[in-house]
Amino acid sequence: MRGERTLYSILGVAVLLTGLLILYPAYHALELSFQKLDSFVSEPEWVGFANYGTVLRLPEFWAAFGRGIVFALSTITLQVVFGIAFAMLLNAQIPLKPLVRGITVLPYLLPTIIVALTFQWMLDPTNGVMSDAVGLFGMDYIPWGENGAVAMSLVIFLSVWIWTPFVTLAFLAGLQSVPDELYEAARVDGATAWQRFWHITLPQLRPVLTVVVLLRAIWMFNKFDIIWLTTRGGPLEATEHLPVLAYRKTFEMYQLGEGAAVSAISFLILSVFIFVYFYFFPLDEKGS
Amino acid sequence: MTKTNYIAGSGPSRRTVLKGVGAAAGAATGLYAPFVHAQTKTIRFLNGEPSRESVRAMQFAAAQYEKEKGITVQMDSVPAGGAFDKVQASIKGGRPYDIATLIFVGDVLLLAEEGKLAPINDIVNKYDWGPKILFPVDGDNYWYPYDYNLCWINYRKDLYDAQGLSEPTNWDGLLSNLGALKGDGANQLPHGIVHPIGSNGATNYTAFGYMWANGVQLFDDEWNIILDSPEMAPLVGEYLDFMASLSQYMPPAPAQAGWPNLVGDFQTDKISHTPGTGRLIDTMNVRMPERASNVSSFLYPSMRGDMFAVNHGYDGWVVLDTAMTDEAMKFLEWFSDEHLINFLHTSPVHYQPTRLDIYEDARWLAHPDIDTFKHIIDMQERVLSDENVVIRSIDTEGPYADARAGKVFRSYALPEMLQNKMLKNLSNEECIKAAAEKMRSAIAG
Repeated sequence: MRGERTLYSILGVAVLLTGLLILYPAYHALELSFQKLDSFVSEPEWVGFANYGTVLRLPEFWAAFGRGIVFALSTITLQVVFGIAFAMLLNAQIPLKPLVRGITVLPYLLPTIIVALTFQWMLDPTNGVMSDAVGLFGMDYIPWGENGAVAMSLVIFLSVWIWTPFVTLAFLAGLQSVPDELYEAARVDGATAWQRFWHITLPQLRPVLTVVVLLRAIWMFNKFDIIWLTTRGGPLEATEHLPVLAYRKTFEMYQLGEGAAVSAISFLILSVFIFVYFYFFPLDEKGS
Repeated sequence: MTKTNYIAGSGPSRRTVLKGVGAAAGAATGLYAPFVHAQTKTIRFLNGEPSRESVRAMQFAAAQYEKEKGITVQMDSVPAGGAFDKVQASIKGGRPYDIATLIFVGDVLLLAEEGKLAPINDIVNKYDWGPKILFPVDGDNYWYPYDYNLCWINYRKDLYDAQGLSEPTNWDGLLSNLGALKGDGANQLPHGIVHPIGSNGATNYTAFGYMWANGVQLFDDEWNIILDSPEMAPLVGEYLDFMASLSQYMPPAPAQAGWPNLVGDFQTDKISHTPGTGRLIDTMNVRMPERASNVSSFLYPSMRGDMFAVNHGYDGWVVLDTAMTDEAMKFLEWFSDEHLINFLHTSPVHYQPTRLDIYEDARWLAHPDIDTFKHIIDMQERVLSDENVVIRSIDTEGPYADARAGKVFRSYALPEMLQNKMLKNLSNEECIKAAAEKMRSAIAG
């Protein structure tokens, strides 16, 4: 009885916090998307779906949506590929394994603002160490502020650098639950390293892979900080995706309703993706 | 004993005890703050000048005021760019600041139109003000501007003297000087000038002075965008061609440049010119006074040399409509008379006075830097009186102060025009057309 009371108390606190910190702000954002107001202190005017219509007609909305897809797909793919590779390396018998594992996680521990500022300084065309480094290859500097493709490559690189350790840790945990007997049996049958990876490791990691890809998809599609802090969506909107567009509309242009509409549509897109994803990759199926 | 007194009524009453307990509990939990706020007469002041010296001057004034008047001034400091968001949050949170710093006239207008500000005509009307610094709304003044924050071109006077150069009065003159000073010889530096062109405030503030000097207007009297009109487009085209010419004297990658480059590249001998305010000189004067004495300044010239410009920055205070409005007004008036000059002295070249009486005030003139940098102070005064000098900025454009100009500022349409020219090599017509369309979109609705 007492245990149950404790359980319900903890649950109650969790529900209360979720309501206060997630549900109410989400409801408020949704409410804003149906209103027109020029600041956070203006009197709201109910405009129905007008903000959605305006936003969906904007070419920059669709361009931002496309860039978000490019950014999310690139970062997820690279994080998963490198994450599995590093996990397998860290799962093997290597010298100083605990130290190497600790170092591998370091980028994930750094605050994003530190990473963004450090890379900006390193990439500074006049004083940056990276500008000196690329000078060896005949380049003056890395033109991330001038060339949209380079800017997108930079934010993808930084995202992979920071968040691959999370994927590595998840796969490392998954790898440690794979029974050694499976590999021994495969070796006895003469399976090559690639065959062992393809037919044993990957299927065994499938539940982890399913969750990791889902989480990374949600996080990278919504990822705002690294892009805003590094490129602010530039140059010429080349790295502006939906979260940056929503921020600019809300906090720079003070078109609060349209900014909220961008966020709401983004949420809807992500929700549809999750349902489709679970349809094709249900979590209750064991990888086999 | 205590009990007896309590019952007899000679001690605190039951109501008083309950109120005291309630206040203590409320204060402890933060829930009783409004009561405490009102009882102790606290003015909440949002300061947008977070430099150590400015904060110290503000806190000193606040302590003096409390000592003299018994009213507490609670000071919060944030970078000026974040002040408007914080003011909005304080209003939405139910505890608005009583006085706040704002740096965009559009924000002032918006709060005034929403009835969140109190007019401060009595204070403003006490003084004579310089040109283009008060932005009244329907005849009422809602803000007290304390500095002009003008942007001009700072340059290395020692290098000019060594090479026998004179201050440029047109674009060709500037290009010629930049060419003479760029190189690895004696009295030369690797680059000439830096002008950020990215979509950020540094570009909006420092890159368009030449365009203002060249007579470009963004709006007509009916708030139509006229950047691409037959009258303006040729002038804008001249400006774009000039900026493209200027790029050969800039350090690489101006699209990556920001505030740190404007100051850092100049202080580390990478460039001989940099756009900026007197803040550069004040900062150098603290850390490297002998270097600061080698810095001088000139105004943005026009192509033909007939006009000059400075880019308007301006900062000011507003009084919000709160329960403490009257006290806030009294404090602002007292501060204005007693401590404003002390505050201006915390960055004496940067904080260019907006009130004309201050230029004659012995207290202001007494600061040694006003004399040391007299050549720059003289230039500041010239800006206020010379008919051939215009004070302009994106966010103050238009026939009268209006939020639409601020929307154009925040759309970064003009920085993108520069990027289209300098990064994409688009034709002037394409750059101007794209900028004008983005500006129209920004102010629509």
